[in-house]
Amino acid sequence: MAKSNEELEARIAVLERKIEREKKARVMSEQHLEVHSRALYETNQSLQTSLAMAKKKQAELEFLRQTSGDVSSDISLQELITNTVELTGQFFSVECGMFIVTQNGQALESKVDNIWRAPNEWVSDKAFLKQATQFLPIQQQECLSMWLVSAIDEQSSHALSGFKWIVFVNFELLGNKIAWLAFFSRAEYLDEEALSVLSTAREHLLSGITRRITDVSIRKRTVELQDTVNRLEQAKRQLIQSEKMASLGQLAAGVAHEINNPVGFIRSNLEMLEEYLQDYQQLHELISKQIGISGQLDAAQYQSLCENIDLVYIQQDSEDLLASNLEGLDRVKEIVENLKTFSHSGDGKLDKIDIKACIEGALKIAWNALKYEHIVDNLLPDDLPEVLGNIGQLQQVFVNLFVNAAYAMLKGGKLTIKSKLTPRVLLVEVIDNGCGMDQKTLDQLFTPFFTTKPIGVGTGLGLSVSYAILESHNVHTQVQSTVGKGTQFSLSFPLPQ
Amino acid sequence: MKGIIFVKLNQFVDELWGDEFWDELLQDAELPSDGIYTSVATYDDAELFTLVGLIMEKKGLTGQQAQMAFGQWMFKQLLEAAPPEAHKFTDVFSFLYGVQDVIHVEVKKLNPEAILPEFEFIEETENSLSFHYLSPRKMCYFCEGIIEGLADHTGQKVAIEQTECEHEGDARCVIKVTKVG
Repeated sequence: MAKSNEELEARIAVLERKIEREKKARVMSEQHLEVHSRALYETNQSLQTSLAMAKKKQAELEFLRQTSGDVSSDISLQELITNTVELTGQFFSVECGMFIVTQNGQALESKVDNIWRAPNEWVSDKAFLKQATQFLPIQQQECLSMWLVSAIDEQSSHALSGFKWIVFVNFELLGNKIAWLAFFSRAEYLDEEALSVLSTAREHLLSGITRRITDVSIRKRTVELQDTVNRLEQAKRQLIQSEKMASLGQLAAGVAHEINNPVGFIRSNLEMLEEYLQDYQQLHELISKQIGISGQLDAAQYQSLCENIDLVYIQQDSEDLLASNLEGLDRVKEIVENLKTFSHSGDGKLDKIDIKACIEGALKIAWNALKYEHIVDNLLPDDLPEVLGNIGQLQQVFVNLFVNAAYAMLKGGKLTIKSKLTPRVLLVEVIDNGCGMDQKTLDQLFTPFFTTKPIGVGTGLGLSVSYAILESHNVHTQVQSTVGKGTQFSLSFPLPQ
Repeated sequence: MKGIIFVKLNQFVDELWGDEFWDELLQDAELPSDGIYTSVATYDDAELFTLVGLIMEKKGLTGQQAQMAFGQWMFKQLLEAAPPEAHKFTDVFSFLYGVQDVIHVEVKKLNPEAILPEFEFIEETENSLSFHYLSPRKMCYFCEGIIEGLADHTGQKVAIEQTECEHEGDARCVIKVTKVG
């Protein structure tokens, strides 16, 4: 059924309103789209700006990271400075950088290339250096607290032509020296933000330089300390040697006596032998005379001449005297040899040594102190194993122990030396039955300069030095003593494994 | 409320009752926007309620019926506009879980200012899922309708009820979806 006109009009009105709404909606949508697009564009712009900023910040951070990395690394001061120039030049996007060291307002000759050129090359350029240095206030003794910027005028020399700015800083080195870093830019304007980053980097650099300078002082101090240690070591060695010499002095009287005895009898023997030689000469003269008179010598005459000078006795006695002299000389030689071992300071090197020979050598040196009043009971077997030691030093220790034992047994007594062998240790015991020591004395036994002997008799160093020697031999030392009964020193020598 | 809802309501009314009825609604409603809706703009919530109220009045429907019918129809429309993730779901329950964690996340990316309902899941059994519907707009019936549409989409049969409803004097709305058959 066809719609009436009214209905059609109503329908048209509905559609017209609909179209109107759609049109307006479209305009709204387009406006919305425009706003949105603009917002998008602005967001994009701001993102790009942020990205550029972020990239710049990243470059700044990377620069600071690298400079800090260098600062905290172990590279030398020279490397630190050259690296800093390179990094700063690249970060600051300048064409040229340099470093110089001055002292008392004078630039010092650089041993290495000190002019850096972009992208990354080190060169020497005296003309440039001379011109560039004129822009630095190198006469000033005080260090700058920040980077300074100077303009380079148009009329400046050929070497600097084209550069507009010089940016520089300095810092103190050891020995009144000042290091200068300078950068040359052709840019119209300098990036202020980059300057502030440089100032942060400068702080890092300063701390790095301070650290390196401190390191140098510490190294110097360490060397001094090591010197002191060495001197002390030397003093200690000298002390040990002096103590030994002091002991030797004490022993000298006894030793002299020991040597004097054989020397005495050797001399009287030689006098005797001299007389016998004269007798022989006389016999020879008489024989020659007789032969000169009669041209011959018969047996009876020879017999008579010989009996005249008692030749049989002379021959017999001469043999005895010579044997006695040789024995006496051997004794002297032996004592002197032992003294040589004893007095030889040595280098503290430990060798495999025969401990029995060492102890017996010491006994011979100390013999004079023991031979009259004391019985020496040496129970050491012949087959003792070798120990690691310095024979001179150990002999010093035993001489000390023996002399002390003798001193503890002034009215005579018995010195016993014996040993015990375990798989790891050789135990040597030195036992006397003298006066013994109380606890107070025992406590101070190894204290330097502690002595119970009258002034002028002992140095008080003997046992402390002995103890130090035994320690250096890794010998464990034990002392047991009872007043009135005696003292026992037990020395445990570790056996070489 | 986002303009898309108005545009879709317009489409729904056009399909169901014709553009003349929509025109009639707008004539009577005298809305601030004059019914000029674009999907990207935002409009006063009250305009929707005015329009829905007029539909109820003119067609003799309850608010519940109106919202549910619109919700059921709306699901398909929303799904078309939804991010690709929304198309992966084949089950009503997993879709409901995904609404908040996947779909609303994507919606927020495009419309940061959109006010979206929240679901607080209370109980799930093999066949049923209960959740607390939270929205300042209190459009729980619309939500029920959407779930109907969702079940049509997944091809599942479900019974939807509100065990608690603010419109019935309860403190909150709890929607329970039960799979049937």
